[in-house]
Amino acid sequence: MIKVRKLLFLVVLVCAAGSLPLLVSPLPAQQPSDRAHQIGGKFMCMCGCNQVLSQCNHVGCTVSTAMLKEVDQSLARGDSEDTITQMFVQEFGTKVYAEPPHSGFSLVAWSMPAVYLAVGLVLVLLVINRWRKRPVHAVSGAAANSSGISAETLERARVRAARETQD
Amino acid sequence: MDVFGSFALLLAFVCAVYAFVGGIAAIRTRHPLLVKSTRQAGLAACGLIFLATLSLEYLFFSDNFSVAYVVAHSNRSLSPFYKVAALWSGQEGSLLFWSFLLAVYVFSALIAYRNKNGELMPYVGVVLAGVQIFFLTLNNFVASPFKALAVPGVNGAMDLVARGDGNGLNPLLQYPEMVIHPPNLYSGYTGFTIPFAFALGALLARYPGEKWIHLTRKWTMIAWGFQTAGILLGAHWAYAVLGWGGYWAWDPVENASLLPWLTGTAFLHSVMMQEKRGMMKVWNVWLVFSTFLLCILGTFLTRSGVVSSVHAFASSNIGSWFVGFIGVILLVCLAAYFKNRDYLKSENQLDSIVSRESSFLFNNLILLVSCVAVLSGTLFPVFSEWFTGDRISVGTPFFNKVNIPIGLLLLFLTGVGPLLAWRKTSLDSLKRNFGWPLLMGLIAGAIAFPLGIRGFYALICLVLCVFVAATITMEFYRGAKVIRSRSGASFLASAVDLTMRNTRRYGGYIVHMGMVLIFIGIAGTAFNRDVQKEMQIGSTMQIGPYSLLLQNVDNKQEKNYTAERMVIEVTRDNKPVMMLYPERRIFPANQASGTMVAIYSTLKQDLYVVYAGQSPDTQVPVIHVYLNPLVKCIWFGGVIVVLGTLVALLPNRRSVLVLSAVPEPTRVKSLAGTLTPSPTLREGHD
Repeated sequence: MIKVRKLLFLVVLVCAAGSLPLLVSPLPAQQPSDRAHQIGGKFMCMCGCNQVLSQCNHVGCTVSTAMLKEVDQSLARGDSEDTITQMFVQEFGTKVYAEPPHSGFSLVAWSMPAVYLAVGLVLVLLVINRWRKRPVHAVSGAAANSSGISAETLERARVRAARETQD
Repeated sequence: MDVFGSFALLLAFVCAVYAFVGGIAAIRTRHPLLVKSTRQAGLAACGLIFLATLSLEYLFFSDNFSVAYVVAHSNRSLSPFYKVAALWSGQEGSLLFWSFLLAVYVFSALIAYRNKNGELMPYVGVVLAGVQIFFLTLNNFVASPFKALAVPGVNGAMDLVARGDGNGLNPLLQYPEMVIHPPNLYSGYTGFTIPFAFALGALLARYPGEKWIHLTRKWTMIAWGFQTAGILLGAHWAYAVLGWGGYWAWDPVENASLLPWLTGTAFLHSVMMQEKRGMMKVWNVWLVFSTFLLCILGTFLTRSGVVSSVHAFASSNIGSWFVGFIGVILLVCLAAYFKNRDYLKSENQLDSIVSRESSFLFNNLILLVSCVAVLSGTLFPVFSEWFTGDRISVGTPFFNKVNIPIGLLLLFLTGVGPLLAWRKTSLDSLKRNFGWPLLMGLIAGAIAFPLGIRGFYALICLVLCVFVAATITMEFYRGAKVIRSRSGASFLASAVDLTMRNTRRYGGYIVHMGMVLIFIGIAGTAFNRDVQKEMQIGSTMQIGPYSLLLQNVDNKQEKNYTAERMVIEVTRDNKPVMMLYPERRIFPANQASGTMVAIYSTLKQDLYVVYAGQSPDTQVPVIHVYLNPLVKCIWFGGVIVVLGTLVALLPNRRSVLVLSAVPEPTRVKSLAGTLTPSPTLREGHD
């Protein structure tokens, strides 16, 4: 009997522990809303405002409300984020994406900044290399071939020095 | 008055054509009378554009509802303040406003240099007249703001009519900043025409010396200052009016304004390479050309409807005109460059990779990468539609992911670049200039981490901001210390003296300091919070340290709109802070609605309250509250950037250094007595 009581107590304890998160966390209905808001950051609102779905602030915008409701319902059904994405793409087309997907032609959009940076970096390094190899002429050349520096050369050198050290 | 305005515009077009054609003839013949008459024609065109603009404003103020543009953008109850702004609220008027601002610039340039740069100015005049012809063509023949209001008559012909009242101004534009934001932004766009004209003119004329590059730099700085102010005012308008809690949404029109700003910024840095070392001439010329072309491209994006934007004007066939103009400009630039590219030969060599020259190259690289990334992201929906048939949107998340790392790299260079020496920087100099700032940045990071700033980008941004601020502060400190030791003046007075002795350099530092503040403000976005909920009258809600009590929802009647507003009492620790009145406005003239955000702003954070209307299901008022940290830093930083630009435009109070070929023994003594040793001579400066 004591064993049975202990067993019952254990079952009650486990059930109570299991239900604790339900008591502590927000209402179940609230959770999908937050999640919907988060997922809404990945889509554009289709009302024409050109804003991200979760940021559309048009007073009484029925489109964003309906879209977020759809997300909510999908999440309640247990749909994954990918399924929700597919659903919206089927409904609105690829213009629903807030950012290009990481596949297909959209990879071009993601890779281009890195390509620009890489190409630019190579060009800058080439330019630096070319400039470093460039022979020095003007003042130094003139100064080298004479034992006494002419007044004109000296003046040119002074002007250049002033230009290169002053703002 | 509409006939007067139309006629003035037509005459302006004729004058501009004469200035262009006559200018080319004057360059060929070098006939002084022809040179003078074409300049006068250019001035006359500007005067006539002023008159046309005034006459359109007169039509607004006299409520002349027989003119289609006035009907579409004004009404009787519109306040005079906004009647001024109605000028640029639509396609036709904004194009006239563009011509007006361009005329202000052209007039100023033609007057300022009427007796100077005799060989260069005819070329500059021709380029300016060419640009004016394009815009006057649009004003006269494509999008005239003086079209009379007409409706189809019984026999199919159009009958002229006059309406009793107009449709009113777009509610989003009825906000004080919209009266100053577009003029600033347009002044930036149009201002870049002057450096373009000087660069192209100098290239065509093979103008000797470096004078033209100084002129180009000065005008670029003016345009850049306006563009910066315009962009920031636009951001503030978006923040305070659109009510989505942010200030930059990477909208195509916002991006369009950023593109020439980025290339203009690149030019303002790389131009120093040309002025001091005679290097990067080709690059600089193309930066000026690109900046102007991006201004026109931005205008094309805004007005053609090729990309969707909330800011865009109604789509029209005007886009093809801009494409044609961009094509012509590009061809002219390419032809001028290939014909005269030997004129742009560099003079110097690079001594070391650790030098100011290299830092400018990397600075330009980062700015250009950012520009091209923003441009390609903006146009990607169009490209994706061309290649795949599907239009793929590119929104805020993409631009943030791409541009945040780029921005941080740029911030790093902002701190490093100015302290590297021209030609070569020694290891000792690196240690001396960067040791303390780097340490301070790392300490700031170490303090911030346990305080909860854990986001990678936010933490890096903070470390870099402290690093850059420390390098700039040290520069002022060292320079002011030298002056103080000589003059005995206070530290602040010495710092001011230092700045006024070398306005360009220290103005630049002030601009950099403003940019640091802007970056701090942007980093604050990582900690934004928001709550949206229905609120019954008498209920309260909590966000951060603030408690909001909805006291009432009432109505107010204004001349041009009716407003439904929330009356909210804000308290903190049970102590009243202030009352906030977020509104929802209804404009009967065009049956449009808009929000008026209420903001309680402190240095630390903004409490940003939006009245989102009543819930359609329960009819209960809905409130959307944001807590946005550090936003004030952005606006404050913007003011500092503009002030820094103004300082950099001022002439130096007195020459810091005098170098001339004089007999040394007698002169050295007197120089030592009169000159203050300048920090600009030290390695790592200037």
